[in-house]
Amino acid sequence: MSQTKSLNVDYNYTVVRLFALTTVLWGIVGMSVGVLIAAQLYWPALNFDTAWLTYSRLRPLHTNAVIFAFGTSALFATSYYVVQRTCQVRLFAEKLAMFTFVGWQVVILAAAITLPMGISQSKEYAELEWPIDILITVVWVCYAIVFFGTLIKRTTSHIYVANWFYGGFIITVAALHIVNSMVIPVSLTKSYSIYAGAVDAMVQWWYGHNAVGFLLTAGFLGMMYYFVPKQAGRPVYSYRLSVVHFWALIALYIWAGPHHLHYTALPDWTQSVGMAMSVILFVPSWGGMINGIMTLSGAWHKLKTDPILRFLIVSLSFYGMSTFEGPMMAIKSVNALSHYTDWTVGHVHSGALGWVAMVSIGAMYHLIPAVFAHGRMYSVKLVNTHFWLHTIGVVLYIVAMWISGIMQGMMWRAVNADGTLTYSFVQSLEASYPYYLMRFIGGCFVVTGMLVMAYNVIQTVRAQKGTLQPIAEAA
Amino acid sequence: MDYPTIHSIFTVIIFVAFIALLVWIFLLKRKPDFDNAANAIFADEMKPKSKQQQESDHE
Repeated sequence: MSQTKSLNVDYNYTVVRLFALTTVLWGIVGMSVGVLIAAQLYWPALNFDTAWLTYSRLRPLHTNAVIFAFGTSALFATSYYVVQRTCQVRLFAEKLAMFTFVGWQVVILAAAITLPMGISQSKEYAELEWPIDILITVVWVCYAIVFFGTLIKRTTSHIYVANWFYGGFIITVAALHIVNSMVIPVSLTKSYSIYAGAVDAMVQWWYGHNAVGFLLTAGFLGMMYYFVPKQAGRPVYSYRLSVVHFWALIALYIWAGPHHLHYTALPDWTQSVGMAMSVILFVPSWGGMINGIMTLSGAWHKLKTDPILRFLIVSLSFYGMSTFEGPMMAIKSVNALSHYTDWTVGHVHSGALGWVAMVSIGAMYHLIPAVFAHGRMYSVKLVNTHFWLHTIGVVLYIVAMWISGIMQGMMWRAVNADGTLTYSFVQSLEASYPYYLMRFIGGCFVVTGMLVMAYNVIQTVRAQKGTLQPIAEAA
Repeated sequence: MDYPTIHSIFTVIIFVAFIALLVWIFLLKRKPDFDNAANAIFADEMKPKSKQQQESDHE
């Protein structure tokens, strides 16, 4: 493995290492806040009557931490790693790459301070106030310069498909963020959207659903197209399918936003367009999922011995599950049952914990030894422990929310013979109570798994050079 | 031109482009090129730097 060393000289791994380590750190922080607010729903006293510990302020902190601190750090780390290795050049504008790291950490810290203070634009996944939005824009433009600059100076003739997904994600997130963050500031900590009424809602969910579609899907599909074949040691099942996958996915996702606004003031035809586009989105989603999983065709035995590959492949199963569930929930009649219930929360977490977190964790277990010049993680056994902790946690979480959500939907729509509602809202809340405990327990499993990962990563980073040799079987 | 017309033309362009993409990928018998592309991720493992550059010239 002498070439590993020479590769380290060729490529800039410093910024990759930093983002990889912060991925683990912010993962633990973001998921712990999630467990805290899950506990608050079961034991309301846990807000200690302190304004900045209330659910309403910690919930956006949780979503911002897991999406923009954990998930986006993983995207920064893997995109800088993948673009260098598939283009076979060092990063373009390395100082700018370092600036994206520092700048992004400042954004995260600013979010961690302002959100508990109650400073918010009140737009889901876009809560941060305008000065932070400006910093995000600056960092993101620098990210684009570094990424596309590296693509331009590549020494290979072909741009590998993973980079197409990363590139699509970077450009679209820039557009979404800028359009949805258009506000009129009235002070340093308060601003008003330039859009009004239903248009404001539509812009928000055009942003919101494409944050899912481009940040939480396209970006992580880029990760999938590099790390799944790499970890499996064989090329992707069908490269041609991956090209169709890319163009079909980005062409369709952008239209799906209205399904967040079924039965609202949004015009009916817009709701129907959103529904139709969401349903057809099932096709490219499953095309990509099948492409990833079938990469293992003929080498299924590797799943038995390689827990990293297990993380990656199970993440794709969750991706398949939630991209079946999503189009179904976007159908107006199904949405009439599911909307505003815990079913939505379960769906989001099957995507976020099942797909996004598992593919990121798998990619980190592959990438961290590589960028710290080791042959493997400190303990493959602990990777396996993490896998089971995480899987059990996610399954507990999703099942709890399915049961609770469908039950809520049924109770809310139940009417007596005289047309009055059968159940009060509080009755449905009482019925959900046991499932909130189950969700809390599931969350504890997930966070425990992340702590195991942190220990394993620290031991790997601190290990002496040459002590962690790859296990021979893998070849 | 009004917006509905522009949007209609745009929709047709996107549709034609997508069909053209499918033709390019599946009908033009370019499978070997795509197989090379799929294997590109393994190029960094096996070869020293100088040989990689040779490799990329012929694609």
